Amino acid sequence: MRISFLIHNVYGIGGTITTTFNLARALADRHDVEIISVLRSRERPSMVLDPRVRLRHLVDLRHEKDDPRHRTPAKIFPSSEYRYGEYSALTDERIGQALASLDADVVVGTRPGLNIHLALQAPARTVRVGQEHLTLDHHPPRLRNALRRAYPRLDAITPVTEADTAVYRRKMRLPGVRLQALPNSVPAPALAPSDGRGRIVVAAGRLARMKRFDVLIEAFAPVAAAHPDWTLRIYGRGEERERLRALIDRLGLYNNVFLMGAVTPMEAEWVKGAIGAVTSDYEPFGMTIVEAMRCGLPVVSTDCTYGPGEIITDGEDGRLVPVGNREALSGALLELVGNDELRRRMAHNALDNSRRYGPALIMAQAERLFEDLLAARRDGRAVAGKDRALASSGYAAKDTVLVAASSVVRAARKARG
Amino acid sequence: MSVTGGEDEKSYGAVTVREDGCLLVRVRSPLPTSARPHLLLQLRPKKGKPEEISRSLALEPAGRDQWQAVVEAAPPLEEGRWDAYVVGAPGEDRVPLLPGPRDVRTLVSGGEGAPAMPLAVRIPYATKDGRLAVRAWRRAAHAEAGRIVVAGDSVTVAARLFGARLGDGAAVSLKRRGRGGAETQFPLRAGKEQDFSFTVDYTDLRPAVAETPVIWDVYVSPDTDAPRVRVARLLDDIADRKQVFVYPSTTLDGVSARPYFTVDNDLAVEVAPLRPR
Repeated sequence: MRISFLIHNVYGIGGTITTTFNLARALADRHDVEIISVLRSRERPSMVLDPRVRLRHLVDLRHEKDDPRHRTPAKIFPSSEYRYGEYSALTDERIGQALASLDADVVVGTRPGLNIHLALQAPARTVRVGQEHLTLDHHPPRLRNALRRAYPRLDAITPVTEADTAVYRRKMRLPGVRLQALPNSVPAPALAPSDGRGRIVVAAGRLARMKRFDVLIEAFAPVAAAHPDWTLRIYGRGEERERLRALIDRLGLYNNVFLMGAVTPMEAEWVKGAIGAVTSDYEPFGMTIVEAMRCGLPVVSTDCTYGPGEIITDGEDGRLVPVGNREALSGALLELVGNDELRRRMAHNALDNSRRYGPALIMAQAERLFEDLLAARRDGRAVAGKDRALASSGYAAKDTVLVAASSVVRAARKARG
Repeated sequence: MSVTGGEDEKSYGAVTVREDGCLLVRVRSPLPTSARPHLLLQLRPKKGKPEEISRSLALEPAGRDQWQAVVEAAPPLEEGRWDAYVVGAPGEDRVPLLPGPRDVRTLVSGGEGAPAMPLAVRIPYATKDGRLAVRAWRRAAHAEAGRIVVAGDSVTVAARLFGARLGDGAAVSLKRRGRGGAETQFPLRAGKEQDFSFTVDYTDLRPAVAETPVIWDVYVSPDTDAPRVRVARLLDDIADRKQVFVYPSTTLDGVSARPYFTVDNDLAVEVAPLRPR
């Protein structure tokens, strides 16, 4: 198969880039794969790409950011999308051209706005797959309604969890569109797994509100009090750094809790640890959980929407605790810190159970899906491409009401302002 | 507009610190199989000074585009930052190595028991501009800082002395940085074996009247005659501690004081005028 991925900007950093590179590399064993990066902001991608995968970009921000067309708002890329501000008449035009001239059997979009481009502009012969790396419920109502209008023209939508796939099934009317979860993949680490003898709890992620590292630091206080030789290392940078720093000082945890700064890749850091920790309020997938498990760490995580609960089997290869519950988190950490045998057993299970996220296995799922969709196209079985009646489920109506309500609020604010 | 993504002509160096203290350096570099490459470690000179000290090790072939060398524990590397390069053949230009994975887990616990003296510590790391380097320390005697507790107007440091013995007149001295800087002594409390602790009362550091911060470097004098020993924290996996091991500031009398680790992981106390809010 000839497979093209359409992605926002591979010259930045983020989970979508990592997982797209992993999937592209695995598919390249048997297929002709290219990645189209809408934007290019630097000389090189932040990650090394398999030489068999072709990479091209559509708008080079280093030379074209002042192009008048790039200063004109986008019309096709939806204004309700998170990244709308980075798209323009120029991206509309270039993405349109790239899709019109696309010589691929399958084209894969990696975010809602790009999936809409696919739905509207991919050649009729090309199978269109829209990936969902966030979750449907997380999107603002206006975006959800834009997706409802466009997504019936896709052949498939692949959220990263079964739970979100179920939400799509329940809340979107998408006849003829295949809904199938496709988790992110994480390659086997190049380093030997953690031997579990260390006394470090490791967490990693953007220092952002949503990651709730404040809860993790507070939950670590009883651990440091009972086991002064244990430390917590938090890797990442972000806007919460100073607040977290102040919290560490206020709790007097500066001998046990460390803000390590951003480190990529994290592999060599995970293997120093004995336990991984995730305290997010929201984690569509939870790549760091799989990374930590593949390095032989049992992970204590909040049971947030939706990833952790599908990755971790509570009590077997890690622990799931309620969101925002500091005492439960402390309890789970204390139990693992104080019980070498339990930690060893869970670490062993974590290594075994996380193998299902290996790129070869995830690639095989993607490959089978793409082949099915292509065969369905050839057999003329019902797939997308035709105009369909607007979705009319209760959820669509509800979102429309929400959109109307928010525009009334906006109008009122404007009138007042 | 099309480029091949992974056409990666650059050379990478992955380092494993083994239990015995040797560094196993694995280089990935697109050199011809007939090449006889070398690993070059170049000690970074002081600003404006020429490069003088380097080590060159033959790289053995280890598979397609793969080469490796072992940097033995002896002889130790001089203290400083050693930049890593690959040299394809004698006389050829050196090519900087980009950082591959650094497996330094054996360093995390600081090793079991006392380190061999004189102390030789080597931590491979990625420089700020994204190159592979090795941070080395070499000290005849060493005082390893442990727990640091800030309370009231003072800071208390627990430490352990290696390569010297605490005797009569043992004391901690803080030397004001700069030529002819003043020195202030503080008593130390000897603990079991080589452990000791000391408390620095910030009010004894004569709060700066000056506009600029004053730095006090921390030493221990094991006895009245022995040369003083730098207090530092060197026995783990952290090459650059300054931004990671951070301690609270104390405000007193128009100045703020805080213990911190220097860019060389040495312990110091900074007394600085309060920044206007």
